[in-house]
Amino acid sequence: MTAVLLKAMRDLRRRRLQAAVIFVTTLLAVGTGTMALTLIAQTRDPYQVAFDAQKGAHLKVAFDGRIDPGTIAGTPALIGATNSGGPYRATDVQFQSAGHKYLVTAVGRDNPGGDVGQLRIAAGHWPSSATEIALTRSFADLNHISVGDRLKVVSVPQEPVLTVVAEVVDIDELRADVGGVQHAWVPAAAIASLTAKDASFLMDYRFATDPTSAQLQARVNTLRASLPPDSVTSTINYIFVSTVFHVSTEILTGVLVAFSLFALAATAAIVANLVTGIVISAYREIGIMKAVGFTPLQVIGVFVLQILVPATAACIIGIPAGTILSQPLLASNSQALGLAYLPTLSPALDLLALAGALVIVAIAAVIPAFRAGRLKPAVVIANAAAPRGQSGRWLRRLASRASLPRPVVLGLGEAAARPGRAILTLLAIVLGVATIVVALGESRSFNKIYTYEGHIGRVDVVVVKSPALADTNATQLINAQPETRRVVAQGAATITVPGIPEPVSTLGFRGDSAALGYLLSPGRWFNAPGEVVANRGFAQDAHLNLGDTFAATVGGKALTLRLVGEVFDFTAGPGGHILMLDWSTITAAAPDLTPSSYMVTLKPGSNVDAYVKRLAAAEPDLLDVQPNSTGNTAFLTVIAGVLFGIAAVVALIAVAGVFNTVLLSTRERVRDTATLKTLGMSPRKVIGMVTTSAGFLALVGGLVAVPAGVALYRMLFDQLSSLGGNITPTSFYDVFAPWELIAIPLAGIIVAVVAAGIPGRWAARTNVVEVLHAE
Amino acid sequence: MSALVRLTDVTKVYQGGITGALNGVSLEVEKGEFTAIMGPSGSGKSTMLNLVAGVDRPTSGTVVVGDTDLGKLGETGLARFRRDHIGFVFQFFYLLPNLTALENVLIPAQLKGNAPNARARELMDRLGITEVANRFPARLSGGQQQRVAIARALINQPTLLLADEPTGALDTRSGEQVMELLGELHGEGQTVLLVTHDAKLATRHATRVISVMDGTIVDDAHLESPQRAAAEVIRVRGEEASR
Repeated sequence: MTAVLLKAMRDLRRRRLQAAVIFVTTLLAVGTGTMALTLIAQTRDPYQVAFDAQKGAHLKVAFDGRIDPGTIAGTPALIGATNSGGPYRATDVQFQSAGHKYLVTAVGRDNPGGDVGQLRIAAGHWPSSATEIALTRSFADLNHISVGDRLKVVSVPQEPVLTVVAEVVDIDELRADVGGVQHAWVPAAAIASLTAKDASFLMDYRFATDPTSAQLQARVNTLRASLPPDSVTSTINYIFVSTVFHVSTEILTGVLVAFSLFALAATAAIVANLVTGIVISAYREIGIMKAVGFTPLQVIGVFVLQILVPATAACIIGIPAGTILSQPLLASNSQALGLAYLPTLSPALDLLALAGALVIVAIAAVIPAFRAGRLKPAVVIANAAAPRGQSGRWLRRLASRASLPRPVVLGLGEAAARPGRAILTLLAIVLGVATIVVALGESRSFNKIYTYEGHIGRVDVVVVKSPALADTNATQLINAQPETRRVVAQGAATITVPGIPEPVSTLGFRGDSAALGYLLSPGRWFNAPGEVVANRGFAQDAHLNLGDTFAATVGGKALTLRLVGEVFDFTAGPGGHILMLDWSTITAAAPDLTPSSYMVTLKPGSNVDAYVKRLAAAEPDLLDVQPNSTGNTAFLTVIAGVLFGIAAVVALIAVAGVFNTVLLSTRERVRDTATLKTLGMSPRKVIGMVTTSAGFLALVGGLVAVPAGVALYRMLFDQLSSLGGNITPTSFYDVFAPWELIAIPLAGIIVAVVAAGIPGRWAARTNVVEVLHAE
Repeated sequence: MSALVRLTDVTKVYQGGITGALNGVSLEVEKGEFTAIMGPSGSGKSTMLNLVAGVDRPTSGTVVVGDTDLGKLGETGLARFRRDHIGFVFQFFYLLPNLTALENVLIPAQLKGNAPNARARELMDRLGITEVANRFPARLSGGQQQRVAIARALINQPTLLLADEPTGALDTRSGEQVMELLGELHGEGQTVLLVTHDAKLATRHATRVISVMDGTIVDDAHLESPQRAAAEVIRVRGEEASR
């Protein structure tokens, strides 16, 4: 072993540059891989910790306010819940703060504790009087509201003013930035004074063991069957909340896993390429080693050790670095739950990352090193050098026929001289370029989703109406503005559909809703009463095809609907359902439904800010008027940062791969280069010859990588679409300009040529006498 | 005396041609002999040496060294056989360039799991290369490199010392020194098998000279016998060369 180690270490010292390439590529790959592993291993912890600590509700049910609270209080026994909270009386409340108006569901609750659904007070104290209110911390953070702020309730005529006395973490509801109406808490006695029209009851249930989705559904079904029709107005369970909580981290993790696999594959390709090159260049030395008694395994050991030493050094730095870099992402999850974040190190995970990386690198090194182990000592000693790669002849001939300059012809031939080397280099290039394409495509698609969901470009102003203001008054005010071109009113309801266990979130539109630009794939937008569009998840779960008619109920009244299109929409969340229909359709069964918001499109050239100010001033307490925007895009920024960061890492690995290949080829062909210089080739032409070889590989790699990257981007985006119960509309794929798809591989060629320039200059400086004498 | 090396009806045909091939060669080398194999370039003499060293395999026939039939060994077995029983000296020294002289000498012993520093120093001292022990091969003269190679070949006290044109890359004086060293080693009981094309060099130190031509042994002279003096061998070699 001493001899093997000694030889390997001495060889390593001789091949410092190649060791540096291995070190850098492994460092980058292992760093991203560790980040992915750390996220995978720990993302579920914070939620579970908080859920257990706060005795989170497995099931949360909203009941119609007309149901007897005593009946509701008896439901835990009905469905086998071991603990319960409530019933809590609740009502939707709109309040105004710093010029903005917000809608929350106020819940009457006298303390934050209890057997189920405890609320963690992150700041302040629990409301103790009718003028105090507690908000969720995510809602307060999102809307820049702090403890001590005063909120004017505008949904009831008395317009009471409430003081924010607490920020709490509610483990049983979605974060404010994800969507949905947030809960807020007031003393139970205060809820009556905040109720304008409708009220409801909330119940929290907890079971002895964590139930499955099917078990939860069975319990909801039992509730429905035991109570009058439409008593259950909505439900939410811990599985859905947990899934939504983790969705952003899961997207990040998925991206990290995919890209770190790319990085590892590229690293493996570089290692295999490098070891192949070393074996070729050390041909005679292998013979000598064998002649003095190295066994084939020991010879392989010498080569593998040369790779494992820098790779291990890279792991020693890369694994802690990856762990540290993943902490902010993990910390954000804990902080969102109001948990103190304690950075946790997992030695087992680190060892797994170390072992995994070293095994991959070792395998990549062992395969080409076997060649060294198999070489016959007599043959390699006699021949001194490995057989020259001859596979590039056809390419040289082709280039000659095209009358290309001689250095270019020779460079092209060199690129294909060793097909194995060319393929491994191409693999690294393809992975690098494809990753950039994917990163670019995905980040643009995320932006596109936000723009699409927000109707950016189609709607200029969004007006949210207080329930205290009549729809006719609001509509009149908006239409009275001279810049108003189009108004689409929107109201939300829930519809019960046979086959779908939960009441389905439904949006009713009044006005030219087709102009909002919802994408249908397949089908069309509704244009007649009774017609609806739904997301694909709904169509699948309800077993409906386009054109099918189905029965539904709203507030106990029957409705006949016909599915005419599948809409691309993410607002329903993972596994969720959504229906969209015309105002006339929904109000036929729910005549009391009023729009909650208005999407206003202005005439071209209008001043949006002036419009907003004027309209808001017309009803300062009852209308919330805002310019339309994509809203909270912090998540997009994080995703884009991670995507481009890792793409840069993989691209850098690819550049290292090109550099490595050119370096190997240049060293291998040093005698040829010396001969060419003797024959009169200028240093500039030598550089041209070497860089042509790299440029050609980058060109071929780019030609393969761009369509591969686009295909991969589409595949990943389809996965994301299906997560939201959608099929990606064709227009969503259209995120690349044609010039970009040309520019990306062109940039790859330029980078490859620049990288190859370094060994190219070395080749150009070849000392002819020295080389030929040594040979 | 017992045969240390036994080649029986050995044929070697290289892929793509017959150059350097052996044609049914049979040969025995006794323990303690200093045997020189002579022949012109391409006659098969180095092939014969490679087969005995186990760095190459015959197309047919058997090669037995001591009690070991090399044909029955795998690659690993052959490597161990070389490590334990063979010392190999090459024309172009073939030192490992990134190891010092001392490390080059020690490497076969280290492969065996030993680190006989004292013996290495002793060998280097005897060969007059102690002062270059920590130098890398590139900083040694040809003669020094060859002496390091010989020390490396001797470190494991091999049963058989093989030398392939050991003076071929050296100046006359260094060549003489190397041959005298091989003679001394033979005097101490070391079996030596030398390949050379230099008849005078061979006859001065070897006790037996085998002449090879086109893959066949054409002459086998034991120089201790009164009938075959060195001059006679040189004459025979001269006739072979003129054929």
